[in-house]
Amino acid sequence: MSLYSHILTQILITVVSVSGVFVLTGMTGMFSLGQAAFMAIGAYTSGILVTKLAMPIIVAWPAAVLLAVLVGLIVGLPTVRLRRDYISLVTLGFGEAITALLNRATTITGGASGLTGIPKRTTLLIAFVSAAAVVTLISFFKSSKYGRQCIAVRSDELAAKSMGINVPRVKMIAFLISVAVTAYGGCLYAFYTAYVDPTLFGWQRSAEWIIMVFFGGVNSLTGSILSTFVLSGLPEVLRFLQSYRAIIYAVLVLLVINFRPSGMLGEWELTPKHIKRLFKRPKGARAQEVD
Amino acid sequence: MAVLKIDNLYKSFGGVKAIRDFSLTADRGEIHGIIGPNGAGKTTIFNVISGIYPPDSGKISMNGKDITHLEQHQIALAGMGRTFQNIRLFKGLSVLDNVMCAFDPRSKYGVAGSLAPLPGRFREEKRGREFCMHFLQMVGLEKQAHEHPEGMSYGHRRRLEIARALACEPTVLLLDEPAAGLNPMEVGGLTQLILKLSNEFNFAILLIEHRLELVMNISQIIHVQNFGKTIAVGKPSEVRNDPQVIEAYLGKEDG
Repeated sequence: MSLYSHILTQILITVVSVSGVFVLTGMTGMFSLGQAAFMAIGAYTSGILVTKLAMPIIVAWPAAVLLAVLVGLIVGLPTVRLRRDYISLVTLGFGEAITALLNRATTITGGASGLTGIPKRTTLLIAFVSAAAVVTLISFFKSSKYGRQCIAVRSDELAAKSMGINVPRVKMIAFLISVAVTAYGGCLYAFYTAYVDPTLFGWQRSAEWIIMVFFGGVNSLTGSILSTFVLSGLPEVLRFLQSYRAIIYAVLVLLVINFRPSGMLGEWELTPKHIKRLFKRPKGARAQEVD
Repeated sequence: MAVLKIDNLYKSFGGVKAIRDFSLTADRGEIHGIIGPNGAGKTTIFNVISGIYPPDSGKISMNGKDITHLEQHQIALAGMGRTFQNIRLFKGLSVLDNVMCAFDPRSKYGVAGSLAPLPGRFREEKRGREFCMHFLQMVGLEKQAHEHPEGMSYGHRRRLEIARALACEPTVLLLDEPAAGLNPMEVGGLTQLILKLSNEFNFAILLIEHRLELVMNISQIIHVQNFGKTIAVGKPSEVRNDPQVIEAYLGKEDG
């Protein structure tokens, strides 16, 4: 497989996970620093079911997503009623606990040396179709009643409650959707790299996803996707600069935060209509030609 | 039967007694004005009624149902709509979507319909849009439906908050200083709007307001609060001449 399709596949897998974070952080305003742990649950569960129990992928992947959602429900139940800033702490603790568990349960997970022997099944096509499907689902969600309620909760929880919005329920729905999507990203990841180890799923990765959502625009799904391409593609493109890449990355993030505090696209969504308009010639120009 | 009945409400914050023995009975079609100097506990009354804080003691019932210990969103769904003194619209949502948020908790489709284009979703979304556009029309904002509220004038945002409260289908509407920050012409329009809504929906309105001309003109009953206590209740003409009220507003004459 060529380098470009390798990079593209990895970016598309990240798009899947970042779409989940977009629902949680971008739309609902909840910060999960343990989100990568749900990717770990997806990756490890699907990997173990296939390598150790010889389950077919078609069963293993949904099972992995389901398990992640169940775990999400347990983590979520006490957390969605907490104040916003506590959610980051609880999820951070949870995420680190999962990493520790993966390190210790050597017989099942392979411990620190990782889980090996996962068949390589995620192709560029599968990654692309998955990312497109997830993005479509999330864009439907954004314009739905729960999508609006998520944005209302992010903007003003108290006013949202006064309008009859069941805030813990809305937060839970957003959390579980993001967990399911991130866990699915984990399945794609495990079956792409054929190897996973606990260090891949620390809080740094969760933080990286949050940065991507903010960089792209807090309320813009297309912005999050665009920034995923920029921020995860950039280090690959700039590989020749070696360690200076990190500096460029940091400068870029700082520039956007400084000059566009609501992200590259802010509230704005790139829709098919906009793309069409881009290729249409402006009406004024045509009129001038007639003259 | 009274749509809203508040009996002997008490609420303190630490040593501050924000509400001391507040009672009120409101019927359909009535407008109750609540006035009083700053810090008299007027907004606290609204916050306790709408469930933001629980009362220390007392009972609140709406349409015969005890709502004293319900959660905030349950009270809203039971038929209470409110606006806020410092406008609290949802940023990131269009004018129409702000109103839709008040309809959404009663919209009949689930999580599956939210993620995929199922027929029930389209039906309910269409019903919701028509329902909410109706309220935007009533407050005169139908042309701005797809704009964002951040760019609108103060008066328009106040009206949008009222439209959003109406979409809760309230039987009790709480308006917290709806005229604050409006110019005299806008206040006139607002007065007409409140009277129109009261006639059309026949709900009970509780109105906190500093502009006495507005409250005195449209309320049937005025409750005057001072330091958490009700110092006078009655028709506007009675309250206006009450010596205690004059003292609270203008101070006591010396010697």
